This record gives sequence, C-alpha cells and structure tokens, in this order.
Amino acid sequence: MMDSLYLAWRYIVFNRKKTITLITCISLVIFLPFALKSLLNESERQLMSRATTTPLLVGAKGNSLDLVMNSLYFSKEKPDFISMKSVDKIIDSGLALPIPLYIRFQAREHPIIGTSLDYFEFRNYKIKWGRAFAMLGECVVGAELATHLNLKVGDNLLSSPENLFDLAGVYPLKMTISGILDKTNSTDDSAVFVDLKTAWVIQGLGHGHQDVKKIEDSSVVLSQSKNLVTTSSKIKQYTEINIENLESFHFHGDPSIYPLTAIIAVPQDEKSATILRGRYLSEQQDQQIVRPKKIIEDLLGNIFRIKDFIDAIVLIVAIAMILAIFLVFSLSFRLRQKEINTIFHLGCNRATVFQLISAEILIIILASGVLCFLSLQILQHFQDRVVHTLFIS
Amino acid sequence: MIKSIAYPLHVIFLAFSVLFVPDSEAEEGVLNVSTVNYPLKFFAESIAGKHAKVSLPMPTDIDPAFWSPNAEDVINLQKADMILLNGANYAKWLPKVSLPLSKLVNTSTKFRDQYIPIESGVKHNHGARGEHSHTGTAFTTWLDFSFAAEQAEATFNALSKKTPKFKETYVKNFIPIQESLLAFDTELTQIGSVLNGMALIGSHPVYQYLKKRYHLNLQSVHWEPEEAPSEEQWKALKQLLKAHPAKWMLWEGNPKKETVIKLEALGLQSLVFTPSANVPEKGDFLSEMKGNIERLKIIINNSKPIL
Repeated sequence: MMDSLYLAWRYIVFNRKKTITLITCISLVIFLPFALKSLLNESERQLMSRATTTPLLVGAKGNSLDLVMNSLYFSKEKPDFISMKSVDKIIDSGLALPIPLYIRFQAREHPIIGTSLDYFEFRNYKIKWGRAFAMLGECVVGAELATHLNLKVGDNLLSSPENLFDLAGVYPLKMTISGILDKTNSTDDSAVFVDLKTAWVIQGLGHGHQDVKKIEDSSVVLSQSKNLVTTSSKIKQYTEINIENLESFHFHGDPSIYPLTAIIAVPQDEKSATILRGRYLSEQQDQQIVRPKKIIEDLLGNIFRIKDFIDAIVLIVAIAMILAIFLVFSLSFRLRQKEINTIFHLGCNRATVFQLISAEILIIILASGVLCFLSLQILQHFQDRVVHTLFIS
Repeated sequence: MIKSIAYPLHVIFLAFSVLFVPDSEAEEGVLNVSTVNYPLKFFAESIAGKHAKVSLPMPTDIDPAFWSPNAEDVINLQKADMILLNGANYAKWLPKVSLPLSKLVNTSTKFRDQYIPIESGVKHNHGARGEHSHTGTAFTTWLDFSFAAEQAEATFNALSKKTPKFKETYVKNFIPIQESLLAFDTELTQIGSVLNGMALIGSHPVYQYLKKRYHLNLQSVHWEPEEAPSEEQWKALKQLLKAHPAKWMLWEGNPKKETVIKLEALGLQSLVFTPSANVPEKGDFLSEMKGNIERLKIIINNSKPIL
C-alpha cells in the first residue's frame, strides 16, 4: 500500500497544475456551503445575542430596522431624532429604566456612543483599565479599539467632523480616555463611550470659551451692553475639556429638547413592558417602541430565505463540479492508457492499478479536505468582522 | 423551543436584577444616599433614620449649588445607591459630571411646571449664529414650604421604592416632617397676607419661591452678607429704594455690622432669612426655618430686629 501511495504521490507532484486545479475545485465545493452556514450562524449569534438582551427600544417613528441596527450594532444609518423629553416621560411613568442613546458621531471611524453610565451596568460590562467617565469630555473605549489604535488610559481621542466640507461646523472635541472596557465580544468592543452631555458638546449644543466679560480685543467683542455681549467668531472656543476650562463649559437652550437617537427601556416586569408598549400605540405618536428580538428575528427570517436559495444554487454548482471532476479523471485515465499498459507489462495486476489510481484520488481528496478545513479555520477567526461588515454595518 | 425562550428571559432577568434589585449594601439595610443640598439631606436622614447613610458631599462653608466637584468626588457620588437632586437647575455642577440616571431622583419633578424662570446676567452671541441667552431657573424651591413638603414626599417615595421593607418606619418618620412643613406654609401664608404688599428687599436673588408663594412684595439685590457692598451697589440700592421704598432687608446670613449700620441710616432694618442650603452650625432644617419665620414676625410686630 505504501508503494502505491508513494507512486501516486510522485505522479501528483509531477502533474502539479492538474492536481492544484482539482484540489481547488473540490475544496471550493466543500468550503462554500460550510462557509455560508458558518457566516449565517455567526450573524444569527451576533444579531440575536444583543437583541435578546435588549428588551425594548424607543425611537422616532419610521424604519424600525434602522432604529435597531443603529442602537444595537451602531450601523451608520441614523434614525430620526427624539428628545430628552422622551426619557423624562419613561422616568415619570415609573414603568422602566430609560438608557438614552445618541449614536451620531465618530472618532477615527469608530462610533461614539453618547449614553448614561447605566449602559455599562445594563450590559454587565467591566472596566479593565481605568474607570468609567466621570467628568465632561471623558470617554471609555472598547477593548478591540484600544488594541487597534494602541490607546491607553489618559490618552486623547479626537472626534471626527460630521462633514469635512462644513468649514463653519463645530470644532472636534479632544476627549480624554478614562477607561478601557474588558472584551465583550460584541460591537461595543470597537466603540467609544461618552456621557450624553459630552456627545452634545461634540454637536456644539454645549461649549466652553473665553470669559466674554474679560475680553479686551475689540475685534472679538462686537458690542457690549448690561445684559448682552456680542462676539465675533474669533472668540476662542475650547476644543478640550480640562480642569482649567471646565467651569466655562455651558449648554444653550432647553436640555429637555436635546436630541437622542433611541432609548433602551428596561421594564420592571412583563406587565410594565406591556403597559409601556401600549402607550406608544396611538396613531398620533411620533415615536415607536419596538422589541429588538422580534425585528431581528424578522431580519434573520429574510436572510435564511436567501440562504435557502443560495444553498440550492451551491448544490447545482456542486453537482456540475463533481461531474466535471469525474470527467477530468476519465479523460486523464484515457490519456494515461499507455502508462497503465506499461504497468501491466511490468507484471502488475488490475488490483495494483486500481490501488494506484485510488491512492491518487485519496491524496487529492485528503488535500482538498485539509485545504477546506484550513480555510474554514481562517474564516472563523475573522468571521465576527466579516459578519459585521456584511450584515451589520 | 422552551430552551430558546428561557435563555433570553434569563438574561433579561439578570439585567433587571442588576438594575432594580437593591444592592448588597441596601440588603443589609443601610442605603448610601447622596444629596445636593442640606434640605434634602435633612429630609432623607429624618425619614430613613438608621436605614440610610446620608451624605452632602461638599464642604459646609460653600453654597452647594455652586460646588465644583473633582473626578474623585464624582466617582464617590457614582457609588451611591441613590442621589437626591433638587431639580430646577439647582446643582450647577451636574451638567459637567456623569452620574447614572438610574440613581438620580429629582425631588421636584411633581412641580417642575411651576419652576420660576430667571434671566441671568450676560447674554452673548457668536457672530452670525444669533443671540444666546443664559436663561436659568430659580432654585431655592424649598422656601415655598408646599414645595418643600413635595420634595420630602418625593424623598419618602424614593426611599420606600428602594427598600420597601422599611416603608412603615419611613411613613412614621415622614408624617411629622410633612406636618411641620405644611404648618410653616400656613404660617407664612398668614404672614404674607398681614404684610399685605409691604415692600421688602432681598440681599440675594434666592427668595423667588418665597415671594411667589406668600405674595411678598420683594425686590432683590446681589449682595453677600460677609462682604462690604461696593459704592456702585450702594448707589443701585438707593436707586431701587426710590421705586421700592422698603423698610426691611432679608439676608441669607448675618451681614457685617458696618453694613447693618449703613443700611439703618437709609431706613432699612436687616433680618436674616436663611435658605439653609448647607448644613447649619447648630440646629436642623426645621429649627432654622422656624427661626426664619419668627424673625419675619418681627416685621409685623414692628419690633427691633434680632440678628
């Protein structure tokens, strides 16, 4: 048997091109359905794990999938805004704990999540290094982001402008990293977490600047009366919040109308959840309340319908490929007829020839299996990112 | 199927237990309660008794509304089981710090539609973006004793919700406080009607709720009791007295002797009506307020003020 394997191996090595083509084809036929299944399972796991642990989500009326995808997976599609009044409404109801979310800005292409400290407790997250944000302008970053950007506690992270062409827009905010989260194996690993108020500073709703009463430069102070100081855009606005300038930071307007993208509502019990949901049923409501689990189940239903279709195509392709491989082997044996006759003349019987050919096929199939296994291992290593890019972002 | 439903339910239940079930300290019976001013500290301490460790995190010699906490102070606040807020934009430091929403209890939510808006000193704008006005809200809400009673009730409700097993004790402790506050309210309403629009001056703009609730004809200047007023402030006062001929000036704390003498020369008597925003040197919130009311009665009796 070892002799047959040796001869088969020498033959395969000699006919490299043909062997590589055969191994690639067979590997692909095996790899494709397994890879698709693995990716879909991972997408189901990622999507469902957050959806099932997020009982209710309140947001502006509109596309509920956008609302869920933005709030749970930080997708770039932003739902319409709601206001802080909606948080007060939930607090006043006493039916649920509201966890506000404002997911709009980015820092070095990573989402900035404006929220309250309750988010960490709700998701049961631990801070691995440093501490949670305590002062305006501080942030906590996800484990993967910290590794990827080589960030440490005390480093700074700059928010990105929403629009590069908005020259008159707000200045980026230099945030101080107060803590780094333990790995969570979720989209939170690549996110930047700030207090809602810091997110509003990034937006420009709150800001800090020189004391207008102390400015002597006439090109900065345009006019001054007892109750009104008008300044030009030359006034120095702070782009970093620190102990020296923290006092100068202030917010304009009514904070109850400041924007949010969503609210995670954590009801006290099933009865509270039902009552709360009932309050958003009215046609006049400009807000909706959704169960993320239901939205994601619907989405997965659609994905799995597509998967069935793709499975059918893969099956047809696989049959065609097996037939093609069968043809390749038949033609190959016909071409090798002279070689087989020589083996007979050397005194080998039919069984030996059969053994030789079987060994060749076995080596090719084994090599394809190994290649397929390695490819699947590589895919599994990167599948969380692949899934995030393909199905979530 | 059952397993697939049970898992998410289990996870949600765990989340609830983290957010709603009292933590270990609370289970032991001692709640860690933080407050933003002395009236709330007094309410919480009096209602919870031994079941809570109530703290007012700022030093006793500063106005709690204008405290500037550092990161360490905020981290300590984050560890509290409950943080009682005054509302009405009271703690000016709140927008600059991060505290968990689940622990915040705004004790004035019930009457937030009755907050008194105020215009602060300076408005400014930045180029073409339009005028920004730094509007604010009057925040010494507890000087309207009906509001103080509401705040005490909100404190009682929050404590009862957090540790329901002590509700009976809380009820027992809350009722006398509520009765005292409502008695003050009745007494001040009577004083207000006897004063019948008599002109008064407040040394500091902290008496808005007192003025509104008890129909006091009160105008405020912006003086500090421990500082001698500037010439400009004296001039402004004289100007104010022409339009508002008051005979009495209400002070947050004991004014300087020289200031009192100078005021008397202008025909103005001084009287302390302390808001007690921070812990008093002696007595408690009720005794301080009782003292305020007794001193107001001096105006009615037209006797010599006691400073």
